[in-house]
Amino acid sequence: MAIIETANLTYTYPGSTRSSLQDVTIEIKKGEFVVLTGPSGCGKTTLCRCFNGLVPHFYGGELQGDVTVTGLNVTQQAICDLAQHVGLVFQSPENQLFALSVEKDVAFGLENLGIPRDEIQKRVDWALRMTGITNIRERAPHELSGGQQQRVAIACVLAMQPDVMILDEPTSFLDPVGAQKIFDVISRLNKDLGITTILVEHRLDLAGKFANHVIVMDEGKVMLDGEPRGIFTSEDARLIGVGIPKATRLYQVLREKGVSLKRIPMNPEEAARSLREVLTLD
Amino acid sequence: MSVFEGFKFRRVYSPIHQLDPRVKFFYVLAIFVIAIMFNQLLPLILLFLIQLPFVFIAGVQREWIRSLRGALLFATMIFVFNFVFTYFWTEYPLLPSPSLLEHSIAMTLRFIVLVESFSVFFLTTSPDHLGLALEQSHVPYEFCFAFTTAVRFVPVLAEEAQTIMDAQKARGLELERGNFIKKVKNYIPVLIPLIVSAIRRSLELAEAMESRAWGATKKRTNLYVLRMKRGDYVLILISATILILAAYFWIFYREQIPLLSSLLIPLRLAAA
Repeated sequence: MAIIETANLTYTYPGSTRSSLQDVTIEIKKGEFVVLTGPSGCGKTTLCRCFNGLVPHFYGGELQGDVTVTGLNVTQQAICDLAQHVGLVFQSPENQLFALSVEKDVAFGLENLGIPRDEIQKRVDWALRMTGITNIRERAPHELSGGQQQRVAIACVLAMQPDVMILDEPTSFLDPVGAQKIFDVISRLNKDLGITTILVEHRLDLAGKFANHVIVMDEGKVMLDGEPRGIFTSEDARLIGVGIPKATRLYQVLREKGVSLKRIPMNPEEAARSLREVLTLD
Repeated sequence: MSVFEGFKFRRVYSPIHQLDPRVKFFYVLAIFVIAIMFNQLLPLILLFLIQLPFVFIAGVQREWIRSLRGALLFATMIFVFNFVFTYFWTEYPLLPSPSLLEHSIAMTLRFIVLVESFSVFFLTTSPDHLGLALEQSHVPYEFCFAFTTAVRFVPVLAEEAQTIMDAQKARGLELERGNFIKKVKNYIPVLIPLIVSAIRRSLELAEAMESRAWGATKKRTNLYVLRMKRGDYVLILISATILILAAYFWIFYREQIPLLSSLLIPLRLAAA
Protein backbone atom coordinates (compact mmCIF):
# COMPACT_ATOMS: atom_id res chain seq x y z
CA MET A 1 0.00 0.00 0.00
CA ALA A 2 1.39 3.36 -0.99
CA ILE A 3 1.81 5.77 1.91
CA ILE A 4 3.32 8.58 -0.16
CA GLU A 5 2.44 9.22 -3.76
CA THR A 6 3.38 12.08 -6.03
CA ALA A 7 2.14 12.52 -9.56
CA ASN A 8 3.81 14.91 -12.00
CA LEU A 9 4.95 17.09 -9.13
CA THR A 10 6.56 20.30 -10.32
CA TYR A 11 7.48 23.07 -7.93
CA THR A 12 9.14 26.46 -8.22
CA TYR A 13 10.26 28.52 -5.21
CA PRO A 14 9.01 32.09 -5.14
CA GLY A 15 11.37 34.41 -7.01
CA SER A 16 13.11 31.54 -8.74
CA THR A 17 13.03 31.01 -12.48
CA ARG A 18 13.98 27.35 -12.49
CA SER A 19 11.77 24.62 -11.10
CA SER A 20 13.33 22.86 -8.15
CA LEU A 21 11.22 19.79 -8.81
CA GLN A 22 10.32 18.72 -12.29
CA ASP A 23 7.67 16.16 -13.02
CA VAL A 24 8.39 13.98 -10.03
CA THR A 25 6.31 10.83 -9.90
CA ILE A 26 7.18 8.39 -7.15
CA GLU A 27 5.46 5.93 -4.89
CA ILE A 28 6.62 4.91 -1.44
CA LYS A 29 5.09 1.91 0.27
CA LYS A 30 4.23 1.57 3.94
CA GLY A 31 7.13 0.34 6.07
CA GLU A 32 9.81 0.97 3.45
CA PHE A 33 13.26 2.35 4.21
CA VAL A 34 13.89 4.76 1.38
CA VAL A 35 17.25 6.36 0.74
CA LEU A 36 16.91 9.53 -1.27
CA THR A 37 20.17 10.65 -2.76
CA GLY A 38 21.74 12.79 -5.44
CA PRO A 39 24.18 15.67 -5.80
CA SER A 40 23.74 18.86 -3.74
CA GLY A 41 20.98 21.13 -4.98
CA CYS A 42 19.18 18.33 -6.81
CA GLY A 43 15.87 18.92 -5.02
CA LYS A 44 16.03 16.24 -2.33
CA THR A 45 15.29 18.68 0.47
CA THR A 46 12.53 20.35 -1.51
CA LEU A 47 10.89 16.99 -2.09
CA CYS A 48 11.02 16.28 1.66
CA ARG A 49 9.41 19.64 2.36
CA CYS A 50 6.57 18.64 0.02
CA PHE A 51 5.81 15.62 2.15
CA ASN A 52 4.91 17.58 5.26
CA GLY A 53 3.45 20.67 3.67
CA LEU A 54 6.33 23.12 4.28
CA VAL A 55 6.17 23.31 0.51
CA PRO A 56 3.95 25.00 -0.51
CA HIS A 57 2.38 26.33 2.75
CA PHE A 58 5.49 27.74 4.44
CA TYR A 59 7.56 28.62 1.39
CA GLY A 60 4.85 29.74 -1.02
CA GLY A 61 5.79 29.31 -4.65
CA GLU A 62 4.06 27.44 -7.39
CA LEU A 63 3.13 23.78 -7.12
CA GLN A 64 1.65 21.65 -9.85
CA GLY A 65 0.71 18.00 -9.72
CA ASP A 66 -0.39 15.95 -6.73
CA VAL A 67 1.20 14.94 -3.44
CA THR A 68 -0.67 12.51 -1.25
CA VAL A 69 0.73 11.49 2.12
CA THR A 70 -1.09 8.92 4.26
CA GLY A 71 -4.16 9.54 2.13
CA LEU A 72 -4.10 13.31 2.73
CA ASN A 73 -3.70 15.77 -0.09
CA VAL A 74 -0.80 17.95 1.03
CA THR A 75 -1.94 21.11 -0.72
CA GLN A 76 -5.25 21.00 1.13
CA GLN A 77 -3.95 20.27 4.64
CA ALA A 78 -2.42 22.61 7.18
CA ILE A 79 1.17 21.87 8.18
CA CYS A 80 0.16 21.19 11.78
CA ASP A 81 -2.29 18.48 10.65
CA LEU A 82 0.32 16.87 8.44
CA ALA A 83 2.86 17.06 11.27
CA GLN A 84 0.91 14.40 13.13
CA HIS A 85 1.51 11.95 10.30
CA VAL A 86 4.88 13.01 8.95
CA GLY A 87 7.86 13.80 11.14
CA LEU A 88 10.72 15.77 9.69
CA VAL A 89 14.23 15.77 11.17
CA PHE A 90 16.49 18.49 9.83
CA GLN A 91 20.14 18.67 8.96
CA SER A 92 21.34 21.09 11.61
CA PRO A 93 20.77 19.51 15.00
CA GLU A 94 20.84 22.67 17.09
CA ASN A 95 18.36 24.69 15.07
CA GLN A 96 15.51 22.30 15.64
CA LEU A 97 15.70 22.24 19.42
CA PHE A 98 14.22 25.23 21.15
CA ALA A 99 13.43 24.27 24.70
CA LEU A 100 15.81 24.46 27.65
CA SER A 101 15.70 20.77 28.47
CA VAL A 102 15.58 17.63 26.38
CA GLU A 103 12.37 16.47 28.01
CA LYS A 104 10.61 19.73 27.30
CA ASP A 105 11.74 19.66 23.70
CA VAL A 106 10.44 16.17 23.13
CA ALA A 107 7.13 17.25 24.66
CA PHE A 108 6.88 20.36 22.46
CA GLY A 109 4.94 18.80 19.59
CA LEU A 110 2.58 16.98 21.92
CA GLU A 111 1.93 20.16 23.89
CA ASN A 112 1.06 21.93 20.67
CA LEU A 113 -1.49 19.22 19.93
CA GLY A 114 -3.09 19.74 23.33
CA ILE A 115 -2.57 16.17 24.52
CA PRO A 116 -3.26 15.58 28.24
CA ARG A 117 -0.25 15.79 30.55
CA ASP A 118 -0.01 12.15 31.70
CA GLU A 119 -0.20 11.00 28.09
CA ILE A 120 2.60 13.44 27.19
CA GLN A 121 4.70 12.11 30.06
CA LYS A 122 4.17 8.54 28.86
CA ARG A 123 5.03 9.30 25.26
CA VAL A 124 8.09 11.38 26.18
CA ASP A 125 9.42 8.52 28.32
CA TRP A 126 8.78 6.11 25.48
CA ALA A 127 10.46 8.28 22.83
CA LEU A 128 13.49 8.85 25.05
CA ARG A 129 13.78 5.13 25.67
CA MET A 130 13.47 4.25 21.98
CA THR A 131 16.27 6.63 21.05
CA GLY A 132 18.41 5.70 24.05
CA ILE A 133 18.68 9.14 25.62
CA THR A 134 16.79 8.71 28.89
CA ASN A 135 19.98 9.56 30.80
CA ILE A 136 20.21 13.08 29.36
CA ARG A 137 16.57 14.06 29.76
CA GLU A 138 17.22 17.04 32.01
CA ARG A 139 20.14 18.53 30.11
CA ALA A 140 20.00 21.72 28.07
CA PRO A 141 20.55 21.35 24.31
CA HIS A 142 23.82 23.31 24.31
CA GLU A 143 25.30 20.86 26.81
CA LEU A 144 24.91 17.98 24.35
CA SER A 145 27.12 16.70 21.55
CA GLY A 146 25.90 16.95 17.96
CA GLY A 147 25.03 13.26 17.90
CA GLN A 148 23.03 13.53 21.10
CA GLN A 149 21.24 16.61 19.80
CA GLN A 150 20.28 14.77 16.64
CA ARG A 151 18.95 11.84 18.66
CA VAL A 152 16.89 14.32 20.68
CA ALA A 153 15.53 15.70 17.40
CA ILE A 154 14.55 12.18 16.37
CA ALA A 155 12.90 11.61 19.75
CA CYS A 156 10.95 14.87 19.30
CA VAL A 157 9.51 13.61 16.05
CA LEU A 158 9.03 10.07 17.33
CA ALA A 159 6.99 11.22 20.33
CA MET A 160 4.33 12.43 17.91
CA GLN A 161 4.02 8.85 16.66
CA PRO A 162 4.20 9.62 12.97
CA ASP A 163 3.50 7.13 10.18
CA VAL A 164 6.36 8.52 8.14
CA MET A 165 9.69 9.82 9.36
CA ILE A 166 11.80 11.92 7.05
CA LEU A 167 15.43 12.65 7.90
CA ASP A 168 17.15 15.28 5.83
CA GLU A 169 20.89 14.55 5.95
CA PRO A 170 20.75 14.00 9.71
CA THR A 171 24.41 13.07 9.98
CA SER A 172 26.18 15.70 7.90
CA PHE A 173 27.37 17.55 11.02
CA LEU A 174 28.42 14.39 12.86
CA ASP A 175 31.51 12.25 13.07
CA PRO A 176 31.34 8.68 11.70
CA VAL A 177 30.67 7.12 15.11
CA GLY A 178 27.86 9.55 15.84
CA ALA A 179 26.46 8.95 12.37
CA GLN A 180 26.53 5.21 12.87
CA LYS A 181 24.55 5.57 16.10
CA ILE A 182 21.93 7.70 14.37
CA PHE A 183 21.55 5.16 11.58
CA ASP A 184 21.19 2.35 14.11
CA VAL A 185 18.40 4.25 15.87
CA ILE A 186 16.64 5.00 12.59
CA SER A 187 16.83 1.46 11.31
CA ARG A 188 15.59 0.08 14.62
CA LEU A 189 12.57 2.39 14.52
CA ASN A 190 11.90 1.31 10.96
CA LYS A 191 12.19 -2.40 11.73
CA ASP A 192 10.55 -2.56 15.15
CA LEU A 193 7.81 0.02 14.77
CA GLY A 194 7.27 -0.21 11.04
CA ILE A 195 7.64 3.54 10.58
CA THR A 196 8.11 4.35 6.93
CA THR A 197 11.50 6.04 6.75
CA ILE A 198 12.87 8.39 4.14
CA LEU A 199 16.54 9.15 4.61
CA VAL A 200 18.25 11.82 2.57
CA GLU A 201 21.93 10.98 2.50
CA HIS A 202 25.09 11.51 0.47
CA ARG A 203 27.29 9.03 2.23
CA LEU A 204 25.85 5.68 1.33
CA ASP A 205 28.66 3.62 2.84
CA LEU A 206 26.91 3.71 6.19
CA ALA A 207 23.31 4.22 5.14
CA GLY A 208 23.08 2.15 1.97
CA LYS A 209 22.77 -1.19 3.72
CA PHE A 210 19.55 -0.23 5.50
CA ALA A 211 17.71 0.76 2.35
CA ASN A 212 15.18 -1.35 0.55
CA HIS A 213 14.24 1.39 -1.88
CA VAL A 214 16.57 3.97 -3.43
CA ILE A 215 15.61 7.11 -5.29
CA VAL A 216 18.31 9.07 -7.10
CA MET A 217 17.58 12.65 -8.12
CA ASP A 218 19.45 15.11 -10.27
CA GLU A 219 18.49 18.65 -11.24
CA GLY A 220 14.99 18.34 -9.86
CA LYS A 221 14.17 15.10 -11.65
CA VAL A 222 14.01 11.53 -10.45
CA MET A 223 16.72 9.74 -12.39
CA LEU A 224 16.64 6.28 -10.83
CA ASP A 225 14.03 4.68 -8.62
CA GLY A 226 14.06 1.11 -7.42
CA GLU A 227 15.83 -1.66 -5.57
CA PRO A 228 19.24 -0.64 -4.08
CA ARG A 229 21.53 -3.33 -5.49
CA GLY A 230 20.40 -2.66 -9.02
CA ILE A 231 20.80 1.09 -8.66
CA PHE A 232 24.17 1.03 -6.94
CA THR A 233 25.69 -1.13 -9.66
CA SER A 234 24.22 0.85 -12.55
CA GLU A 235 26.56 3.01 -14.54
CA ASP A 236 24.07 5.93 -14.38
CA ALA A 237 24.31 6.20 -10.62
CA ARG A 238 28.07 6.55 -10.78
CA LEU A 239 27.88 9.17 -13.51
CA ILE A 240 25.37 11.28 -11.58
CA GLY A 241 27.86 11.27 -8.76
CA VAL A 242 26.05 9.15 -6.22
CA GLY A 243 28.40 8.11 -3.44
CA ILE A 244 27.76 4.42 -3.91
CA PRO A 245 29.04 2.12 -1.13
CA LYS A 246 32.67 1.13 -1.59
CA ALA A 247 31.82 -2.54 -1.36
CA THR A 248 29.45 -2.17 -4.30
CA ARG A 249 32.04 -0.15 -6.19
CA LEU A 250 34.51 -2.96 -5.66
CA TYR A 251 32.00 -5.30 -7.27
CA GLN A 252 31.82 -2.98 -10.31
CA VAL A 253 35.57 -2.70 -10.64
CA LEU A 254 36.02 -6.46 -10.37
CA ARG A 255 33.33 -6.98 -13.00
CA GLU A 256 35.18 -4.68 -15.38
CA LYS A 257 38.33 -6.75 -14.80
CA GLY A 258 36.43 -9.91 -15.58
CA VAL A 259 35.86 -11.20 -12.06
CA SER A 260 32.20 -11.59 -11.27
CA LEU A 261 30.97 -12.02 -7.73
CA LYS A 262 27.82 -14.05 -7.22
CA ARG A 263 25.98 -11.44 -5.18
CA ILE A 264 26.15 -7.68 -5.22
CA PRO A 265 27.68 -6.68 -1.89
CA MET A 266 26.31 -3.64 0.01
CA ASN A 267 28.75 -3.60 2.92
CA PRO A 268 32.27 -4.87 3.68
CA GLU A 269 31.02 -8.06 5.35
CA GLU A 270 29.06 -9.10 2.29
CA ALA A 271 31.96 -8.18 0.03
CA ALA A 272 34.35 -10.28 2.12
CA ARG A 273 32.01 -13.26 1.93
CA SER A 274 31.59 -12.97 -1.84
CA LEU A 275 35.32 -12.57 -2.37
CA ARG A 276 36.04 -15.64 -0.27
CA GLU A 277 33.62 -17.64 -2.42
CA VAL A 278 35.39 -16.58 -5.60
CA LEU A 279 38.84 -17.25 -4.16
CA THR A 280 38.03 -20.76 -2.96
CA LEU A 281 36.55 -21.60 -6.37
CA ASP A 282 39.80 -20.77 -8.16
CA MET B 1 29.55 41.63 30.51
CA SER B 2 30.37 41.12 34.15
CA VAL B 3 27.04 42.48 35.39
CA PHE B 4 25.22 39.89 33.33
CA GLU B 5 27.56 37.19 34.58
CA GLY B 6 25.76 37.47 37.91
CA PHE B 7 22.43 36.79 36.26
CA LYS B 8 23.43 33.57 34.56
CA PHE B 9 21.57 30.57 35.84
CA ARG B 10 23.55 27.56 36.99
CA ARG B 11 21.75 24.29 37.58
CA VAL B 12 21.94 23.45 41.28
CA TYR B 13 19.35 22.03 43.56
CA SER B 14 18.76 23.98 46.73
CA PRO B 15 15.58 24.77 48.65
CA ILE B 16 15.66 28.24 47.07
CA HIS B 17 15.94 26.82 43.56
CA GLN B 18 12.89 24.66 44.15
CA LEU B 19 10.70 27.62 45.02
CA ASP B 20 7.98 28.81 42.71
CA PRO B 21 9.35 31.67 40.56
CA ARG B 22 6.15 33.64 41.10
CA VAL B 23 6.71 33.57 44.84
CA LYS B 24 10.35 34.52 44.43
CA PHE B 25 9.29 37.37 42.21
CA PHE B 26 6.89 38.56 44.88
CA TYR B 27 9.79 38.53 47.32
CA VAL B 28 12.01 40.52 44.95
CA LEU B 29 9.18 42.96 44.42
CA ALA B 30 8.74 43.37 48.18
CA ILE B 31 12.45 44.15 48.59
CA PHE B 32 12.26 46.52 45.64
CA VAL B 33 9.33 48.45 47.11
CA ILE B 34 10.94 48.70 50.55
CA ALA B 35 14.23 49.86 49.06
CA ILE B 36 12.36 52.63 47.26
CA MET B 37 10.39 53.57 50.39
CA PHE B 38 13.38 54.33 52.58
CA ASN B 39 16.26 56.61 51.78
CA GLN B 40 18.07 56.34 55.09
CA LEU B 41 21.15 54.21 55.51
CA LEU B 42 20.01 52.17 58.51
CA PRO B 43 16.97 50.43 56.94
CA LEU B 44 18.89 49.86 53.71
CA ILE B 45 21.68 48.10 55.61
CA LEU B 46 19.06 45.91 57.26
CA LEU B 47 17.56 45.18 53.85
CA PHE B 48 20.97 44.23 52.53
CA LEU B 49 21.64 41.89 55.47
CA ILE B 50 18.21 40.28 55.38
CA GLN B 51 18.94 38.84 51.95
CA LEU B 52 22.22 37.18 52.87
CA PRO B 53 20.62 33.99 54.26
CA PHE B 54 18.93 33.43 50.87
CA VAL B 55 22.24 33.65 49.08
CA PHE B 56 23.83 31.16 51.44
CA ILE B 57 20.95 28.69 51.46
CA ALA B 58 20.96 28.76 47.65
CA GLY B 59 24.73 28.25 47.63
CA VAL B 60 25.32 30.85 44.93
CA GLN B 61 27.74 33.06 46.92
CA ARG B 62 30.42 33.08 44.26
CA GLU B 63 28.15 34.10 41.37
CA TRP B 64 26.41 36.58 43.64
CA ILE B 65 29.65 38.30 44.60
CA ARG B 66 30.60 38.40 40.94
CA SER B 67 27.36 40.18 40.09
CA LEU B 68 27.96 42.71 42.86
CA ARG B 69 31.48 43.27 41.62
CA GLY B 70 30.01 43.89 38.16
CA ALA B 71 27.70 46.49 39.64
CA LEU B 72 30.64 48.28 41.24
CA LEU B 73 31.14 50.76 38.40
CA PHE B 74 27.50 51.83 38.41
CA ALA B 75 27.53 51.98 42.18
CA THR B 76 30.53 54.30 42.13
CA MET B 77 28.85 56.50 39.56
CA ILE B 78 25.68 56.69 41.63
CA PHE B 79 27.72 57.59 44.68
CA VAL B 80 29.66 60.36 42.94
CA PHE B 81 26.59 61.82 41.24
CA ASN B 82 24.63 61.82 44.45
CA PHE B 83 27.45 63.43 46.34
CA VAL B 84 28.08 66.13 43.76
CA PHE B 85 24.48 66.90 42.81
CA THR B 86 23.12 66.98 46.33
CA TYR B 87 25.92 69.34 47.21
CA PHE B 88 25.19 71.82 44.43
CA TRP B 89 21.52 71.48 43.67
CA THR B 90 19.62 71.23 46.91
CA GLU B 91 17.82 74.31 48.20
CA TYR B 92 19.67 74.34 51.47
CA PRO B 93 23.01 72.97 50.36
CA LEU B 94 24.36 70.37 52.70
CA LEU B 95 27.98 70.99 53.25
CA PRO B 96 30.31 68.10 52.53
CA SER B 97 29.34 66.72 55.89
CA PRO B 98 28.94 63.25 57.35
CA SER B 99 25.22 63.44 56.66
CA LEU B 100 25.75 64.19 52.96
CA LEU B 101 28.21 61.34 52.81
CA GLU B 102 25.71 59.09 54.49
CA HIS B 103 22.96 60.11 52.09
CA SER B 104 25.15 59.25 49.09
CA ILE B 105 26.11 55.93 50.63
CA ALA B 106 22.44 55.17 51.24
CA MET B 107 21.54 55.86 47.61
CA THR B 108 24.37 53.61 46.46
CA LEU B 109 23.32 50.90 48.83
CA ARG B 110 19.76 51.17 47.53
CA PHE B 111 21.06 50.34 44.08
CA ILE B 112 23.14 47.47 45.44
CA VAL B 113 20.14 46.06 47.29
CA LEU B 114 18.16 46.08 44.04
CA VAL B 115 20.97 44.37 42.13
CA GLU B 116 21.35 41.90 44.97
CA SER B 117 17.70 40.88 45.04
CA PHE B 118 17.33 40.58 41.27
CA SER B 119 20.54 38.65 40.99
CA VAL B 120 19.38 36.20 43.68
CA PHE B 121 16.18 35.78 41.71
CA PHE B 122 17.87 35.09 38.39
CA LEU B 123 20.64 32.98 39.88
CA THR B 124 18.15 30.64 41.49
CA THR B 125 15.43 30.50 38.85
CA SER B 126 15.89 28.33 35.81
CA PRO B 127 14.75 30.10 32.64
CA ASP B 128 12.55 27.09 32.03
CA HIS B 129 10.73 27.72 35.30
CA LEU B 130 10.52 31.38 34.49
CA GLY B 131 8.91 30.64 31.14
CA LEU B 132 6.50 28.30 32.87
CA ALA B 133 5.64 30.94 35.43
CA LEU B 134 4.95 33.42 32.63
CA GLU B 135 2.75 30.88 30.91
CA GLN B 136 0.77 30.16 34.04
CA SER B 137 0.35 33.87 34.65
CA HIS B 138 -1.66 33.95 31.40
CA VAL B 139 1.03 35.64 29.33
CA PRO B 140 0.31 34.62 25.69
CA TYR B 141 2.29 31.51 24.81
CA GLU B 142 4.03 33.19 21.87
CA PHE B 143 5.79 35.55 24.29
CA CYS B 144 6.80 32.79 26.70
CA PHE B 145 8.14 30.76 23.79
CA ALA B 146 10.08 33.74 22.47
CA PHE B 147 11.56 34.22 25.94
CA THR B 148 12.71 30.63 26.52
CA THR B 149 13.99 30.31 22.97
CA ALA B 150 15.97 33.52 23.31
CA VAL B 151 17.57 32.17 26.49
CA ARG B 152 18.24 28.84 24.82
CA PHE B 153 20.10 30.49 21.94
CA VAL B 154 22.30 32.80 24.02
CA PRO B 155 25.15 30.26 24.35
CA VAL B 156 24.77 29.24 20.69
CA LEU B 157 25.07 32.82 19.47
CA ALA B 158 27.93 33.54 21.87
CA GLU B 159 29.83 30.60 20.45
CA GLU B 160 29.06 31.71 16.92
CA ALA B 161 30.23 35.25 17.62
CA GLN B 162 33.51 33.77 18.88
CA THR B 163 33.89 31.68 15.72
CA ILE B 164 33.23 34.66 13.47
CA MET B 165 35.64 36.78 15.47
CA ASP B 166 38.34 34.14 15.10
CA ALA B 167 37.64 33.78 11.39
CA GLN B 168 37.84 37.53 10.80
CA LYS B 169 40.98 37.82 12.90
CA ALA B 170 42.51 35.07 10.79
CA ARG B 171 41.87 37.31 7.79
CA GLY B 172 43.68 40.18 9.43
CA LEU B 173 40.91 42.03 11.23
CA GLU B 174 42.28 43.86 14.26
CA LEU B 175 39.60 44.31 16.86
CA GLU B 176 41.57 46.07 19.56
CA ARG B 177 43.08 48.85 17.49
CA GLY B 178 42.33 52.55 17.46
CA ASN B 179 40.29 54.87 19.62
CA PHE B 180 36.83 54.11 20.97
CA ILE B 181 34.92 54.87 17.74
CA LYS B 182 37.42 52.94 15.67
CA LYS B 183 37.06 49.99 18.01
CA VAL B 184 33.29 50.02 17.64
CA LYS B 185 33.69 50.18 13.86
CA ASN B 186 36.06 47.22 14.00
CA TYR B 187 33.20 45.07 15.15
CA ILE B 188 31.06 45.66 12.04
CA PRO B 189 32.64 42.74 10.12
CA VAL B 190 31.75 40.55 13.09
CA LEU B 191 28.22 41.84 13.51
CA ILE B 192 27.06 41.49 9.92
CA PRO B 193 27.78 37.76 9.52
CA LEU B 194 26.36 37.22 12.99
CA ILE B 195 23.09 38.92 12.11
CA VAL B 196 22.81 37.16 8.76
CA SER B 197 23.38 33.78 10.31
CA ALA B 198 20.91 34.55 13.09
CA ILE B 199 18.25 35.34 10.50
CA ARG B 200 19.01 32.16 8.63
CA ARG B 201 18.87 30.26 11.90
CA SER B 202 15.49 31.77 12.71
CA LEU B 203 14.12 30.54 9.38
CA GLU B 204 15.29 27.01 10.12
CA LEU B 205 13.79 27.32 13.56
CA ALA B 206 10.45 28.38 12.12
CA GLU B 207 10.53 25.39 9.80
CA ALA B 208 11.20 23.03 12.69
CA MET B 209 8.39 24.60 14.73
CA GLU B 210 5.91 24.24 11.89
CA SER B 211 6.96 20.62 11.47
CA ARG B 212 6.10 19.97 15.08
CA ALA B 213 2.51 21.13 14.88
CA TRP B 214 3.00 24.68 16.09
CA GLY B 215 -0.38 26.34 16.49
CA ALA B 216 -2.38 23.12 16.05
CA THR B 217 -4.71 24.01 18.90
CA LYS B 218 -5.50 27.07 20.94
CA LYS B 219 -5.63 25.01 24.11
CA ARG B 220 -2.02 24.06 24.52
CA THR B 221 -1.10 21.62 27.29
CA ASN B 222 2.15 21.57 29.23
CA LEU B 223 4.45 18.82 30.38
CA TYR B 224 5.20 20.61 33.65
CA VAL B 225 2.97 22.55 36.03
CA LEU B 226 4.04 24.78 38.85
CA ARG B 227 2.45 23.90 42.14
CA MET B 228 2.87 25.86 45.35
CA LYS B 229 4.59 23.87 48.08
CA ARG B 230 5.22 24.48 51.75
CA GLY B 231 8.43 26.43 51.12
CA ASP B 232 6.55 28.77 48.82
CA TYR B 233 4.02 29.62 51.51
CA VAL B 234 6.85 30.21 53.97
CA LEU B 235 8.51 32.66 51.61
CA ILE B 236 5.22 34.46 51.01
CA LEU B 237 4.86 34.75 54.76
CA ILE B 238 8.40 36.07 55.16
CA SER B 239 8.03 38.61 52.35
CA ALA B 240 4.66 39.77 53.62
CA THR B 241 6.02 40.16 57.15
CA ILE B 242 8.98 42.20 55.98
CA LEU B 243 6.68 44.31 53.85
CA ILE B 244 4.20 44.96 56.66
CA LEU B 245 6.95 45.78 59.17
CA ALA B 246 8.53 48.15 56.70
CA ALA B 247 5.21 49.83 55.98
CA TYR B 248 4.57 50.17 59.71
CA PHE B 249 7.92 51.85 60.35
CA TRP B 250 7.53 54.00 57.28
CA ILE B 251 4.12 55.29 58.39
CA PHE B 252 4.89 55.91 62.06
CA TYR B 253 8.62 56.35 62.46
CA ARG B 254 9.79 57.60 59.07
CA GLU B 255 11.06 60.86 60.49
CA GLN B 256 12.68 59.32 63.54
CA ILE B 257 15.07 56.94 61.79
CA PRO B 258 18.43 58.08 63.11
CA LEU B 259 21.33 58.93 60.87
CA LEU B 260 24.20 56.58 61.51
CA SER B 261 26.59 59.52 61.56
CA SER B 262 24.57 61.12 64.35
CA LEU B 263 25.02 57.94 66.35
CA LEU B 264 28.73 58.14 65.74
CA ILE B 265 29.17 61.70 66.98
CA PRO B 266 28.44 60.92 70.66
CA LEU B 267 30.89 58.05 70.36
CA ARG B 268 33.52 60.40 69.03
CA LEU B 269 32.79 62.87 71.76
CA ALA B 270 33.09 60.13 74.33
CA ALA B 271 36.40 59.09 72.83
CA ALA B 272 37.62 62.68 72.93
